Amino acid sequence: MTILTLAVKYLRGRFVASTLTAVSIALGVSLVVASVLLARGIKEGFIAGATDYNLVVGAKGSATQLVLGVVFRMDLATPNIPYTVYEGLRQDRRVETAVPIGVGDAYRGFRYVATNSAYFSAYPWRRKAFTLAAGRLFADDPAGEPTYEALLGAETARSTGLQIDDRFYEGEEMAEYPLTVVGILRPTHSADDRAIFFSLPSYWGMNEVARGMAVKPLTAVLIRPKQMSDLPSLHREINVAPDTQAVLPSGVLLTIFNMMGVAEDVLKMILAIVGIIVLLYVFVSMYSATMERRREIATMRALGARRASVFGIVLAESAALATLGGVGGIFGGHAVAYLAGALLGSSGLVTNPLRVDVFEPAVLASVIVLGTLAGLLPAALAYRTEVAENLAPLS
Amino acid sequence: MSEPPAVVLNEVKKAFPLGGGRGLEVLDLEHLALPPGSCTVVRGRSGSGKTTLLNLIAGIIAPSAGTIRVADADLFALSQARRDRFRAEHVGYVFQTFNLLSALSAVENVVLAMMFADTVPRRLHHRRAADLLARLGLSERLAHKPAQLSRGEQQRVAIARALANGPPLVLADEPCASLDARTAGEVFAIFLAVCRQDQKTLLLVSHDEAAFGEADRIIDMTELNRTEARRDST
Repeated sequence: MTILTLAVKYLRGRFVASTLTAVSIALGVSLVVASVLLARGIKEGFIAGATDYNLVVGAKGSATQLVLGVVFRMDLATPNIPYTVYEGLRQDRRVETAVPIGVGDAYRGFRYVATNSAYFSAYPWRRKAFTLAAGRLFADDPAGEPTYEALLGAETARSTGLQIDDRFYEGEEMAEYPLTVVGILRPTHSADDRAIFFSLPSYWGMNEVARGMAVKPLTAVLIRPKQMSDLPSLHREINVAPDTQAVLPSGVLLTIFNMMGVAEDVLKMILAIVGIIVLLYVFVSMYSATMERRREIATMRALGARRASVFGIVLAESAALATLGGVGGIFGGHAVAYLAGALLGSSGLVTNPLRVDVFEPAVLASVIVLGTLAGLLPAALAYRTEVAENLAPLS
Repeated sequence: MSEPPAVVLNEVKKAFPLGGGRGLEVLDLEHLALPPGSCTVVRGRSGSGKTTLLNLIAGIIAPSAGTIRVADADLFALSQARRDRFRAEHVGYVFQTFNLLSALSAVENVVLAMMFADTVPRRLHHRRAADLLARLGLSERLAHKPAQLSRGEQQRVAIARALANGPPLVLADEPCASLDARTAGEVFAIFLAVCRQDQKTLLLVSHDEAAFGEADRIIDMTELNRTEARRDST
């Protein structure tokens, strides 16, 4: 038996109190770990889901709303722009690629995205690659002859259970325009996994207002310039126009991360308060345990235990509790992040429960050090225990 | 040449501070020597300084004056840490209320005493504890926690713990006072037999007639403690 095993036996001797203390530490650590993992997961989700295109052109209004709606499909779509904007940009000599986008309603929560086959094309500059898991892309049908063919993102297909040749629609008013699944994409780890793609003519055909419009509507146009040096002039010209705005998606991402930074600062303060409460709990637990067993400490001293030994036993108990709670908290934090990832997966959160980050050993070490420090005063109390006074027979 | 005494106290006084510079003197003895291997029983009324005497000899409390030698070592010339180690190796202490550690099993309570001394190699701790408990008739109770043992069994564990490091001196403060008469008789007989067998010097506080019958010497605190004598004469 060593001081450490004796400390562990003491902890087991007051199983309920020790468990509650370890669980409270674990909850605090879980909160810290899960918060960091989720914040990182959200950032990585945004980065992974960011578009390869350099400009998003849409109606005047909120730049953040435009990018969130068109790229991440997290916000309401911005007002429409005329299809002629797309045609103008396609013919602009500075533009290498222009892709029209129409964001519509949703089927069981999975957003309708109308575009053309250019959206899925592989270019040397593209990070994102679209590959088919089954079927084919929808046809680039001519205006006025919609085929209502749908291409499903991987998550859409998995969640809805739709398969090739299945027909579906959302709401009775759309029963006349059912979509037919012609293809399913492999996962891209972006908002596209949760989309339902089809052609622009199908998009206009499904919409009663659009059917009657001479100039068809669009939500946005994605632009890749031939030369990056053309980007500022394109950006400026589009923004000067009365009805359109051009947004740099990277700039919006930076704005979102800055907004998250403020929230993270508030979260850090809350976590610091939680940490202090947990430390106080460890202190109170160890203090009351030491007070309760002054007689046993006195007995150990009478048996020859040095003051340093009883000091060490109490400190080892604190350290063991902190270690137990810290390790439990790391696992708990990963479990919470995993559950949140599973629950919020449709929002683009990226979480990997098995990945251990560099900050976690630092969190564990801090918890052990602080938990041990919380045991210092109770350990000092044990150190100073008066032997004869506490050995007196109980009346 | 005869063997030196196991314990020698000379002009030992003990007063407990009452505050305001005043003190309550509880012990004042001129001389006490315990021969090695002897059994001495101390008796006296409550508050006569019996437990204080044991605590002084164990080095748990320091005398206000005088010297205490155990196994030829001047106890209070040693540093606190060395005195703790000395106590672990040279003095076994049996308490009236057993004072077993509730979180530990019977055998672990005995091993505990060996943790604080260097008398028994660590790898032999468990075996020695089990052997001692078997000698005291507890071979079937090794893994039991104190709450699972009878009071008589608890006191036998406490005795095994006091003997764990093979101390030459064993102090016992009314070891059977909290046991019923029959159990007390049994436990005391085992305790005495083991101490005699191992030639321990035994200093026992007791009011038990059976203990008086076994003692080599009976000390009355009224005669030993001058404070008590003065109190009696007033």
